[in-house]
Amino acid sequence: MTGRAPWPMLAGLLLLTAVAHLTTGPVAIPLAELPDHVIVHAVRLPRLIVVLLAGAMLGLAGALLQTVTRNPLAEPGLMGVSAGAVLAIVLAIIAASRIEGLGMVRDTGWHLGLAGVAGGMLAGALTYALSRRHGVSRPVLLVLMGVLVAGSASAVTSMLLLTADDNQLRLVLHWTIGSTNGRGWVHVEMLAPYAAAGLSMGLLSAGIANALQLGDGVAACLGLRVEPARLMLIFAAAVLTAGAVSVVGGIGFVGLIGPHLARMLVGNDARRLFPAAALVAALLLTLADLGARSLPLGWIEAWSRSPVTAPSGIPVGVVTPLLGVPFFLWLVFAHRPRA
Amino acid sequence: MMLAPNPETGLRAEALSVGYGDRAVLERVALHLPRGGITALVGPNGSGKSTLLKALARIMAPSGGTVLLEGQAIARLPSAEVARRLAVLPQAPVAPAGMTVAELVEQGRYPHAGPLRMLRRQDHDAIRDALAATGMTGFAGRALDELSGGERQRAWIALTLAQDTPWLLLDEPTTFLDIGHQLEVLELVARLNRERGITVLMVLHDLAQAARFADRLVVLHGGRLHSEGPPGTVLTPAMLAEVFRIEARIIPDAETGRPHMLPIRHLPDGAPAC
Repeated sequence: MTGRAPWPMLAGLLLLTAVAHLTTGPVAIPLAELPDHVIVHAVRLPRLIVVLLAGAMLGLAGALLQTVTRNPLAEPGLMGVSAGAVLAIVLAIIAASRIEGLGMVRDTGWHLGLAGVAGGMLAGALTYALSRRHGVSRPVLLVLMGVLVAGSASAVTSMLLLTADDNQLRLVLHWTIGSTNGRGWVHVEMLAPYAAAGLSMGLLSAGIANALQLGDGVAACLGLRVEPARLMLIFAAAVLTAGAVSVVGGIGFVGLIGPHLARMLVGNDARRLFPAAALVAALLLTLADLGARSLPLGWIEAWSRSPVTAPSGIPVGVVTPLLGVPFFLWLVFAHRPRA
Repeated sequence: MMLAPNPETGLRAEALSVGYGDRAVLERVALHLPRGGITALVGPNGSGKSTLLKALARIMAPSGGTVLLEGQAIARLPSAEVARRLAVLPQAPVAPAGMTVAELVEQGRYPHAGPLRMLRRQDHDAIRDALAATGMTGFAGRALDELSGGERQRAWIALTLAQDTPWLLLDEPTTFLDIGHQLEVLELVARLNRERGITVLMVLHDLAQAARFADRLVVLHGGRLHSEGPPGTVLTPAMLAEVFRIEARIIPDAETGRPHMLPIRHLPDGAPAC
């Protein structure tokens, strides 16, 4: 199963999908006009960059956490980082509207992004602190405490949403479902620092991750200082997840499936797995975004008897599970371990 | 604590105590392992065998005493430096699903690698050599979870060989293996000792195998060193009665000249030891 050279194929597919992403939409743009079309520059290119970066970030975060916890079901939201980021953003939207004179906060706001990153990192730190015993964090506890922290944050988010008005709810949905609609250059700028820091930290720690995935005992015997190493990998995953979720919301599945597909392509060696997981997840999210923009809205409108309010299409967070669930079923049933 | 530089080449424990919380597992164990042979660490369940191995390998910090590796206090050596001199295989290690033998063995080069952990020529040589020495060359591309228990254990031993260390510490390397695979692993260990001069310390449960494969036995009892020496002097009915609470006959093996043990019955608690 381990292909020798999947890189040219991945790069080719990514390029094809990116071009398709730029050329299709409400206005079809011919390939020749791509370089200097105003819609491409103002709308589609920044959205494509946001999609590529967020996909890569979620994919690498998933691969990092699957390696650290040695749990194939680990995904970027595992440490409660996604739920914490969404909670902080909802809190910021609702609190800001309560303050006189501030009015309605636009979802392009930098401060929402910062609040999201702060909330996500705080939730991640809480999970890590709760899973430490005698100065050592246990991967099993990380998973369990992550579920608790994420569950608590989601419960508080739901309570806050009960007090929100219609406009706030519509805005909040962008983060709870996950959406790339209306993402522009400001979002590229918001994403860039976390992408740069998290991607480089994550990719450079692949050698350490390789030793760590053999388990604490063996890793220590190989001369790895286990706890600082694990903290570094977890921190990189938290930066990647919090940064991505703050801009595009809690998009599910790409951070779970990306690493699995990458592992089928390049194997377990983190030095190949990590970059492959980032590329595959970026490819998946671009495909999902393409799908989200192309899905006909007519049937939803006919069913709900009210116009769908998102002019730029269905949020991509709705599409990723549609893409992810069949894939996961196939993965589970087609690759049953031999008895 | 001795601070003077020590010219010796062995592995030495001085008044080594280890505890979990306030429960003492090892109490003031003094031990000296010279370079060269195979030493088996034996003792009943809970006697502190694995703990002693971990403390000697610096995986567990002692609550008192010192471990000296070739004369240097191991607690003050950098982790990677320890891993370049001393390889340890913990009990029943588990690899991630789908990991191949080559991917596993490659990790043995971790303590030797540069900051970016890219493999160099000497790393590839060491990996190839470790696979060949354990007879795993033909299995390099196979996933560990597809292998038999014996093959898998050989792959893990190949990982420690790739570390290219003069010392090899094994914690119950034959656990979960049938008798054929147990002997296969122990014969491999004996061959590595004989042909490559690797000094081996291993925790073993089976006293007959310990007597057959080790040059020296170290017997732990209740967290203390009970006795140590060649199997011929250590494996006695008196020791077996006191430490393992069994009555046994010791007969010399005509072929190997080593003592062989025939267990007869368990001695109830309170029965006189001998």
